[in-house]
Amino acid sequence: MSFDAKYKAQDYNSVGTRPVRPDGVDKVTGRARYGADFNMPGQLVGRVLRSPHAHARIVSIDTSGAERLKGVKAVVTAADLPDLTNGDQTLFDILDNCMARSKAFYDGHAVAAVAAVDAKTAREALKRIEVEYEVLPHVIDVDEAVKPSAPVLRDDVFTGGVEPKPQTPSNIANRSEFGHGDVDEGFAEADVIVERSFRTEQTHQGYIEPHACVASMNPDGTADMWVCTQGHFVYRQNCADLLGLDVSKLRVTSSEIGGGFGGKTHVWMEPVALALSRKAGRPVKIVMSRNEVFRASGPTSATSIDVKIGAKKDGTITAAQATLRYSCGPYEDIWGEFGAKTSFACYGLKNVKSVGYEVLVNRPKAAAYRAPSAPMAAFAVESTIDELAQKIGLDSIEFRIKNAAKEGTRSSYGPVYGPIGIGPTLEAAQNHPHMKAPLGKNQGRGMACGFWFNFGGQTCTDLNIGSDGTATLAVGTVDVGGARASLSLVAAEELGIPYENVRAVVADTASLGYNDMTDGSRGTFSSSMATISAARNAVKVLRERAALTWDIPVEDVIWEDGCAKATDKKHGNLPPLTIADIAETAGKTGGPIAGHSELVADGAGVSFATHICDVEVDPETGATKILRYTVIQDAGKAVHPDYVEGQYQGGAAQGIGWALNEEYIYGEDGRLQNPGFLDYRIPVCSDLPMIDTQILEIPNPNHPYGVRGVGETSIVPPLAAIANAVSNAAGVRMTHIPMSPPRILAALEGESEG
Amino acid sequence: MSAIAVSTTINGDEVEFLCQAEETLLDVLRERLGLTGAKEGCGTGDCGACSVMVDGRLVCACLVLGAEAEGRSIETIEGMANGDELHPLQTKFLEHAALQCGVCTPGFLVAAKALLDANPDPTEEEIRFWLAGNLCRCTGYDKIVRAVQDAAQELRGS
Amino acid sequence: MYETTYHKAGNVAEAASLLAAAEDGQLLAGGQTLIPTMKARLAAPSDLVDISGASDMRGITVNVSAVTIGAMMTHAEVAANADLFAICPALSNLAARIGDPAVRNRGTLGGSLANNDPAADYPAAMLSLDATVVTNTREIAADAFFTGLFETALAEGEIITGVSFTAPGKAAYQKFPNPASRYAMCGVFVSVGPSGPRVAVTGAGADGVFRATEIETALQAKLDPHAIDKVSLDAKAMLSDLHGDGAYRANLVKVMTKRAVAALD
Repeated sequence: MSFDAKYKAQDYNSVGTRPVRPDGVDKVTGRARYGADFNMPGQLVGRVLRSPHAHARIVSIDTSGAERLKGVKAVVTAADLPDLTNGDQTLFDILDNCMARSKAFYDGHAVAAVAAVDAKTAREALKRIEVEYEVLPHVIDVDEAVKPSAPVLRDDVFTGGVEPKPQTPSNIANRSEFGHGDVDEGFAEADVIVERSFRTEQTHQGYIEPHACVASMNPDGTADMWVCTQGHFVYRQNCADLLGLDVSKLRVTSSEIGGGFGGKTHVWMEPVALALSRKAGRPVKIVMSRNEVFRASGPTSATSIDVKIGAKKDGTITAAQATLRYSCGPYEDIWGEFGAKTSFACYGLKNVKSVGYEVLVNRPKAAAYRAPSAPMAAFAVESTIDELAQKIGLDSIEFRIKNAAKEGTRSSYGPVYGPIGIGPTLEAAQNHPHMKAPLGKNQGRGMACGFWFNFGGQTCTDLNIGSDGTATLAVGTVDVGGARASLSLVAAEELGIPYENVRAVVADTASLGYNDMTDGSRGTFSSSMATISAARNAVKVLRERAALTWDIPVEDVIWEDGCAKATDKKHGNLPPLTIADIAETAGKTGGPIAGHSELVADGAGVSFATHICDVEVDPETGATKILRYTVIQDAGKAVHPDYVEGQYQGGAAQGIGWALNEEYIYGEDGRLQNPGFLDYRIPVCSDLPMIDTQILEIPNPNHPYGVRGVGETSIVPPLAAIANAVSNAAGVRMTHIPMSPPRILAALEGESEG
Repeated sequence: MSAIAVSTTINGDEVEFLCQAEETLLDVLRERLGLTGAKEGCGTGDCGACSVMVDGRLVCACLVLGAEAEGRSIETIEGMANGDELHPLQTKFLEHAALQCGVCTPGFLVAAKALLDANPDPTEEEIRFWLAGNLCRCTGYDKIVRAVQDAAQELRGS
Repeated sequence: MYETTYHKAGNVAEAASLLAAAEDGQLLAGGQTLIPTMKARLAAPSDLVDISGASDMRGITVNVSAVTIGAMMTHAEVAANADLFAICPALSNLAARIGDPAVRNRGTLGGSLANNDPAADYPAAMLSLDATVVTNTREIAADAFFTGLFETALAEGEIITGVSFTAPGKAAYQKFPNPASRYAMCGVFVSVGPSGPRVAVTGAGADGVFRATEIETALQAKLDPHAIDKVSLDAKAMLSDLHGDGAYRANLVKVMTKRAVAALD
């Protein structure tokens, strides 16, 4: 049964409306259960001992003191998590990050863990573990780490992506290059060239719910885990691989998730909880403290980026080039590559080249953070674009429209675009009243664009029809921001029943086939595709049952408005059978009625946004206030517009925090100085204005409703939009994010640029 | 160390519990009484996810000792609805889609109710400054502020 | 938190005797600093003496221009007191802008003074207002009370019961809150009484709250924001930390002072 995912224009009954979300009442009454809200009988408290050093060889660990403490039921170190990775470097790196083996690579790196009868005993036990460290020189800064003089973190990492293959280990784990044309030729044609270097500091996703899990491992090899995660199937795979379990014997249930933004796509202490449970023979619960969340669960990369763009006087960009260095923590990743791929994706360029480097530093393993790597690249490129427009004497939007990518453009990272939203979002910005609003003293307006790929991937859903004609939808993508509401709308749309008659749940790993995680803005895109497919399969069964009931050929039965209807004139007198009618007699017509779908959701539609921002800069203190903010983004099709707007607003707010305030600050000793919300404060209510949104709908040709992912692109433009606004307000070009008050004041006083 | 016996009132019900001196009210609510609606987002009073009312005043339960609850009246998110009738703030949060992940929502609701109890007609700025002790990472606060404004209007009208 | 023993005191005398009996006792006022500090295991008192029920440490009285405030008055209570607002609105406004509502509902004047956090607001007000800190054993002038970072003139077991001061003719407080913590990166309290302007600065000094005497002299000559244009502050005497260096704070002191002078009320 082949499923046609191609977009087909249609009128909608449910999709596009704004009903109350199905998990809403639980969440406003305090009943919703998050990671830390679950307990098991006989459960122990697990806690992790973490390295106080940025870089140290672990000479020895003596756990005997902890083991002797009354109430301690298990102590584990790397020895209890033997290497089962069979040469799979990526998996080994996950293992090493969960529990340091030969070296501690950052302040906060796990070195041992305990399970005890209560928290007090567990904490005391940690104090009794004696770790002998040989402290090594460390490197925190991404530009320092690439210098030949820098301490090298790993003797097994040699720069990939360069020929000939290097013979000496390096902190540069990989080089990747994208682009086309000849940039040297392009720059030679340019009338004006702007070349700038930029830096962005490391930020954390800042989800309000710390990581939490309860793990229970039985002597028979079965195991259960309750955990807050963006991808319980992926967590199951990682944990089973690292613990040597049969995948199907580990059942992982995803709790309600209190924010993730990419940070809950990686396992952190979950394999450790399983190892403790295995050793103690009892369930173990680990809840990270906020301090641990900052020090030991992945923030995004710190970056250093050089950009050079040239254009003719008429505003045509002739060449664009970027070199991007992204910190990865101690393990190779693809953050520099993502930066390089996204950097020039908004534009149609004849000559373009971007080179990304993965740089190892003594910071926590960098994790995905909402459109990972794109915001920093956009900050550098969109700042340069703005400056170039000013030098040529063109309006910022005009200049971008002139060079924007469109359908048929070969993107800077390779693929040729289908129908895309960059041009339309720019035109919408040009026509937006925000662009014409007056500005006061010390105020400035900036705008910038952003891009994100959007992901698809493996997806599985079940749709079961109840005996009264209501439907249960079981999905395997974790709901991080209202997806159950959107997917219920889709199921209702396909079945022709009211939204209220659908209940969507996130199924555990034992109840549904494998699903990739909720990342890359794929949750609603791919699970809605699978839901449509499952619903259409269910409708086929419903038609068959009606045909059986009527004793007519199934070809003569159509599905319309939630009813089976006989089409052929010779059946003209048959009254329609409602879904409830058919469901009620299912036991006599062949049994339960369900639709299933397993698919790889290909063809995720790329996403573009344009943001406009007004700021006021206090010239005496360097403080910046956001006065007005507008997000314009292509959703393909907004299934539940409230939650699409919510994604736009939330991404913008995170970007604002990143732009102005948030940063990891390390001391000379390589230790994180602000691992808490007191000194790393994300934007609060009084920091922000209302955030206006405008949803554009340019259908994705590869989804039946035209849906594109919407979750991530909104964090891409703010850094640049605000930097451009600050530049217009205060006359200084800020090249270092965050634009904290001291940095802006210093720039104003001309002490340094940015 | 002997436990402290505490008699208190939680959401109108008389409750007795035992706790250690160093246990916080949040520990007691979550671990001893099964009231997990208040969340621990930071444990240092910086995120507001554990907001509860003590004798009619908004506090972070993570910075109050369980022993301090003696003789006081505690209100938590679990007591906000009247049976199956949601408080107007709860209804407006749902209608305005003022939550995404929802983990901060109990704290915001308790804090917003404290505001509207004292100030039935707050300006947008007053709402924003009052709620500045509650962190939300999902919404950008826009829909939360609108929900509070709408609930205030409804409460004034009724 | 480490193990501790909890006591509740009904009045100052009871609190004093409980403290005296404890091996390493600590008063628990609003707990907004003490509890996080204990959680971080940076404090481990053997005994906690809860003084929230100490009725003789509460209340605000305003008698013509003589003001007394009980140590256990919360920031919210100080902010909401109409009598105080009528005579010293600068102090009411200061209290109304400490932290967030939950902090203001628990945090107390006495707790803030005893802790003497270098970025706390109240110490600047007390110093500027030439207040007297009243304890269970004596009275201490604000000028002698604040002795350094987190250090005060309080003796072992001594308990702040309240403060008293004479409301100034004019006063204003301006602060530049840290964008992260909302603590003052610089807060300047300016008051103008019979003896002239007194200017106290919090958040910016390397040794904690201090009186900006050069600025006072300049303002004595002319009570105008521009009167301090030529005053130069030593950046080395300023606090330098992860949020800003001494030079940045030295600038803030002047900017906030000018704004406070312009706002004198």
